[in-house]
Amino acid sequence: MIKQFADVIFRWYCHPDYYPDIQGDLEELYTGHLKNKEQFPQLKYCVDVLLLFRPALIRPILNNTNSNNIAMFQNYLKISLRTLARHKMFTTINVVGLAIGLTSFLLINEYIRFEQSYDSFHQDADQLHRVSYLVLNENGQVMDKDAMASYLTGNVLKKELPEVLNYTVSKKFDQISIRSGQNIFQETGIISADSNFLKLFTYQVIHGSKETMFNEPWSVVMTQSRAKAYFGDINPVGETIQVLMPYKAELKVTGVIEDVPDNTHYKFDMLLSDKSLKDGDDYENWDYNNYYVYLRLADNTNLKAFEAKANEVFLKFEDDGRSKLDVHSVQDIYLKSDFTFEPQPLGSEKVINFLIIISIFILIVAWVNYINLSTAIALERAKEVGLRKVVGAFKHQLVIQFLCEAFIINLIGGVVAFFAAELLLPFFNQLIGKTIILHAWSHLPLVYNLIVFFLIGTLISGFYPALVLSGFKPIAVLKGKFQNSKSGIITRKALVVFQFSVSLILIAGTVIVYKQLHFMQTADIGISVDKVIHVQIPDSEAETEEEYEAFLSRFDSFKENLRNHAAIAAVGGTSNLPGGNASDINSTTTRTRILGFTERMGGTVYIQYNDDSFLEAIGMKLIAGRDFDKEMKSDSAAIMVNESYLKRFNLPDPDEIIGETLQFGETEDKGKRTIIGVVKDYNRTTLKSQVEPTIYMPWMNADALVIKFNNTQALEFVEEEWGQFFPDVPFDYGFLTERFAKLYVQEERFGNTFLVFAGLAVIIALLGLYGLASFISLQRSKEVGVRKVLGASQVQIIYIFYTYFFKLIGVAALIGIPLVYFLMNSWLDNYAYRINFPWIISFSSLIVVGVLAFLTVAYQTSKVARLDAANILRNE
Amino acid sequence: MKRYQLGEFEEIVLLTVGVLYDEAYGVAIKGEIESRLKRKVSVGAMQSALRRMEKKGFIDSRLGEVNKLRGGKPKRYFTITAYGRDALQHSQDVRLSLWNDIPGVALDL
Repeated sequence: MIKQFADVIFRWYCHPDYYPDIQGDLEELYTGHLKNKEQFPQLKYCVDVLLLFRPALIRPILNNTNSNNIAMFQNYLKISLRTLARHKMFTTINVVGLAIGLTSFLLINEYIRFEQSYDSFHQDADQLHRVSYLVLNENGQVMDKDAMASYLTGNVLKKELPEVLNYTVSKKFDQISIRSGQNIFQETGIISADSNFLKLFTYQVIHGSKETMFNEPWSVVMTQSRAKAYFGDINPVGETIQVLMPYKAELKVTGVIEDVPDNTHYKFDMLLSDKSLKDGDDYENWDYNNYYVYLRLADNTNLKAFEAKANEVFLKFEDDGRSKLDVHSVQDIYLKSDFTFEPQPLGSEKVINFLIIISIFILIVAWVNYINLSTAIALERAKEVGLRKVVGAFKHQLVIQFLCEAFIINLIGGVVAFFAAELLLPFFNQLIGKTIILHAWSHLPLVYNLIVFFLIGTLISGFYPALVLSGFKPIAVLKGKFQNSKSGIITRKALVVFQFSVSLILIAGTVIVYKQLHFMQTADIGISVDKVIHVQIPDSEAETEEEYEAFLSRFDSFKENLRNHAAIAAVGGTSNLPGGNASDINSTTTRTRILGFTERMGGTVYIQYNDDSFLEAIGMKLIAGRDFDKEMKSDSAAIMVNESYLKRFNLPDPDEIIGETLQFGETEDKGKRTIIGVVKDYNRTTLKSQVEPTIYMPWMNADALVIKFNNTQALEFVEEEWGQFFPDVPFDYGFLTERFAKLYVQEERFGNTFLVFAGLAVIIALLGLYGLASFISLQRSKEVGVRKVLGASQVQIIYIFYTYFFKLIGVAALIGIPLVYFLMNSWLDNYAYRINFPWIISFSSLIVVGVLAFLTVAYQTSKVARLDAANILRNE
Repeated sequence: MKRYQLGEFEEIVLLTVGVLYDEAYGVAIKGEIESRLKRKVSVGAMQSALRRMEKKGFIDSRLGEVNKLRGGKPKRYFTITAYGRDALQHSQDVRLSLWNDIPGVALDL
């Protein structure tokens, strides 16, 4: 049996001429072994077969069946290489174009793959869902979407619905100061976690026990890199660290897990056991939506049906119709969520779609170059085709030959693209601001993409030229009466129009993106943050009432000292600094009404706490009423609202509601506040979102200070004073302008990415245009000669060529400009505050395309226009 | 000088083909080398040496009779060509001249 199998293999690889006698020898040896009763004769046979696998004995790889085909392929290869070597410009333009196109395509696709991979690495990623709140208005319409839910939601849904296999609830803390030995760390990535957290989210546990690490209050689990920052390379389980704020407590490290990858919507550095949550965290209150609630649903759960059931359960506990639940897959959050209060900035599906379009455009532009140029040089190949046909070539053979050429060009382009991708990866990572992959060669999907699109490219770019070239009629060609076919010329024109349109769209798109960015960065946001620094006052470590009073008076004298300095204009305090991200604010879904004016109104209302100097420090304007006054005791129950609040609730003229009473909630005699002022709207965060209806409450000890300078020399003074008042805490300040600038990092990146790839696409298109112009001018040189003899001037000749190209640009404009409008207008719609669609830019982009085309074509046309007619026509 | 490329193993195989004269086919050559040199020879090594030398022209081959013992496959007999003979001669001459030129004292060990 084994012997037979070995023989089959041997027959397969052995040279057919040698097979019979060698196999005979093996057989004879085998029978000899059998006769001598030697051990394992079959095995010996196999070993012999294996050892026979030698270069001298194996079947030749080539020319085994039909040697003629191979010879033809060798010939195609040779002719292709010669043609490519002869047409150096043609080859260079195509290889460069294809390489740029493929490189861009591969890199952009890796980025897209990365963006789409968010949260898919969890073991049951498909069954992981988040429960969020939809805030309803009085008519039951969805007014706001809040990513957070109340703590109880998870537990209740688990109890009531069998589809919920498991759940976890987590709270994301703001900045927490932690002391470890002598060092103080400001941690911004701490979240709470229960013992289910690591069962839903798949993170490898390195030290500690998954089952027990969250059992005790004040237990903390760190990621590897944080653990290293605190404790070095030792196993930190059992070590302790001190939390300074918001809790004063000692934390025990109970575990270390692997670092959280970039591609999750909920990143963290440390997990604090949720038993550490205190009463202040309101985890037993349905109204306190400050938690992210995640469910592990049973396989094949119908999400729509489940959501309906969940809402039925929800109604049992919250029947006032203020809100309902929304259940969505965690994998959709990063790209698709439009909820507020997300734990971190999200990606944008629109940007991804734009990038997909750009990457495909670039690739097609490169392919179009090949199609255009290879049909343009058809005239020169016509004789070869004619002769081949005369000596008996079939059409399909010629098709294969020209596909061969496309294959070679694409192959070279592909190889160059691969190395380019590897080399450019660091720059690309920088451009998009994320490290998506480290090496091109070790990343299989990229290699796979390269091979697939190289093959597709070969077929797409090679097929049309192959059909055109192989379709020539030998008799016409050899008689010299050959003309480019009408349909061929039209196709080529159409392709050039396509390239011009793409260039136009990309140039205009880039400018529009930058214009919107510029608009957002320089827009009047309603406040003046110039020369304003912000600094966070450390939390009091007071343990008794007296100590706390002492802390407050120290805080007050610090502010007073600053105010007395000539170079400092104002010192204000707030709960939420301007220029934070969208979720850096407080909110309530409690209904509010203004007594005597309105009914109770639903929808989210945002709340910010300010002291009496905050408005002055950031230049917020009052349009009615007055600011808080520290001296007036009654102001502790006073509030201010903003214009948007009035607009949202259809309130009358601001002056009319000054002194009126605003009431929170449904209880008759509670939650009453006096409106003392109405402030002008200002954008606390990006211009992407509208100014929210906001209520400003007084908090005289607001601890995020904003300090307005008259001149920046005051900075030294502030630092000095800080050292006096808070000697233990470093003076960690920043400028508000920088905070606002950081808000647009994503837009800036998108703009830069757009710019780079639009630039590349335009370069490829221009390369193609240059090649095309040179071929066309060459082919029309005879016509130019005749025209010159008949008295045409150089200018007239140049005019003829330019009208040819500018007609095409004209058609491109007709297609391109509406598309620019359609695409970019929808992009601009993402922004609550956007520029009007700039028609002028579309048209100036058209001029840019025109000028670029003009310059590209200029050299070739002037060359052909200056030709000596006698030289051209002599050959006739 | 004309070059005869003859490896050590090839030379042994070629000599053995000569020794066996009319009976030089695969198994016989293998057996002869194994019994004279007291070393194992794999079919693969020997066959590839034979085919290489055949390509170089040192040996000729002809197919022999079909044999039932061999599963109905013919034997392939090898014979030395004139060129092969020259190659052997050359190889021997080179060795002999080297051998002769060794000063007597060098081998008095």
